[in-house]
Amino acid sequence: MPRRALISTLSVLVFLGAWEIAPRLHLIDMAYTSQPSRVLAASLEAVRNAGFLHDLSVSFSEFAVGFALAVAMGVPLGLLLGVFPVMRYLADPVVMAIYSTPYLALLPILVVWLGIGMPSKMAAVFVGGVVPIVVNTMAGVRQVERCWVLAAQSFGGGKRDVLVKVILPASLPGVMIGTRLGLSRAVLGMVVAEMYVSQAGIGSEIMRYGSAFRIDYLLFYVLVISGFGFAATRSLRVLEQRLWTADK
Amino acid sequence: MKALWLGLLSFATILTLWEAAARLGVMNPFFTSQPSAIAATLGEEARSGELPRNITVSLGEFAAGYGAAVFIGIFLGVLAGRFRTFEYALDPFLWFLYSAPLVALFPIFIIWFGLGARPVIAIAFLLSVTPIAANTLSGIKGINPALVRAAKSFGAGESDLLWKVILPASVPMVIAGLRLGIGRALTGVVVGELFGATAGLGFSIAYYGGLLKTTNMLASLAVIAVLGVVCTQGLSAVEARLDSWRTGPGL
Repeated sequence: MPRRALISTLSVLVFLGAWEIAPRLHLIDMAYTSQPSRVLAASLEAVRNAGFLHDLSVSFSEFAVGFALAVAMGVPLGLLLGVFPVMRYLADPVVMAIYSTPYLALLPILVVWLGIGMPSKMAAVFVGGVVPIVVNTMAGVRQVERCWVLAAQSFGGGKRDVLVKVILPASLPGVMIGTRLGLSRAVLGMVVAEMYVSQAGIGSEIMRYGSAFRIDYLLFYVLVISGFGFAATRSLRVLEQRLWTADK
Repeated sequence: MKALWLGLLSFATILTLWEAAARLGVMNPFFTSQPSAIAATLGEEARSGELPRNITVSLGEFAAGYGAAVFIGIFLGVLAGRFRTFEYALDPFLWFLYSAPLVALFPIFIIWFGLGARPVIAIAFLLSVTPIAANTLSGIKGINPALVRAAKSFGAGESDLLWKVILPASVPMVIAGLRLGIGRALTGVVVGELFGATAGLGFSIAYYGGLLKTTNMLASLAVIAVLGVVCTQGLSAVEARLDSWRTGPGL
């Protein structure tokens, strides 16, 4: 494990070093890339600004509501579709059609339907998050080893036992993969919806600094979102670990 | 066959309900449009040459970005799956790219590549290369070590291992990555066009969105959905062929 951390840190440091030094040596034009030191300076400046916390809380509430809805609806739906073949046949083409359609293309329509306020962002988060959760939960159910189902049945397990005690725990990896994938799409949905049209939030700051070509500020807000996504993914992994150990 | 009929049935049901709701005044067609109007608009746009032109632009960008991502993503994933040091060095970047809202970097791409198709291709590539690389990597790491040991003890070399054990055993994960990549590459193309382009399906959605023409928006969206489904289903056919040795569960 220390070796892993060492190599990972080293490779990031090399990247940052090259990025800092290359503009100084005039190998690349700084207007195009900015510099780590400048991004750092911009970050300190932006964090001290009072509007920062407001943007953060707006974005977070949009995300939390949309993603909670996505999990609450996606997991049960995925289990249902995974277990019952007829329902899967009915829903699969529709689900795949939605999955294959870039959900961000819905933004203009969501805005027409829900307005430019927070509901259209929540809807973008929900639409982004729910589909991978459904699809991967379904796939997780289908990847359950057949012999476990047979074993449970031959020991007298009924349909309900098989579902709750075998299929649900065994399809957990699929559920977790779906949640993780849905998470990154949901975060993207939040930011891009805010970039498309909004009055507040991290995405609106990104768009503001983007059109002013302030790469240092823009990268800071991109980093904030990345940190947000990273923290959410980490918490999911911790949860995943808990669920696994509780299983044993 | 049964799957096909049930699938068609559910599509037909949805379209019928939608049309009926719009005609009976349950939904306002100004906001939701209706299937018959969308079909008529599609025919009109096809005759005027607008639709073929948009499709060509978007598909060209998609093919360039996604094609590059497939090769580079699988290459990076296999490399990282086989060599620990490379995996550790790649890992932070992979996870950054995965969690970062890359679309937010689009203004930077415009500065780098100028307006037009190139920044769109770049964002499509960057969005789709990460799931492909990450899934290939985790597919390889998830391989039952007994398979590798068995192959080695029967004298398999590194190239035998790769082609006969490692790649076949990681097919489901790789395909899942390719499938995600398709979605993300299409997302990149459409969003890139949404924010800064002069042609393409995404551009037409934003353009008609500005005019509040929901029928035209949904027509472009339907075309994008069909393109996505065609790509994904093509991939399923490939998967069935590559992964025919695996047996599924069932209840």
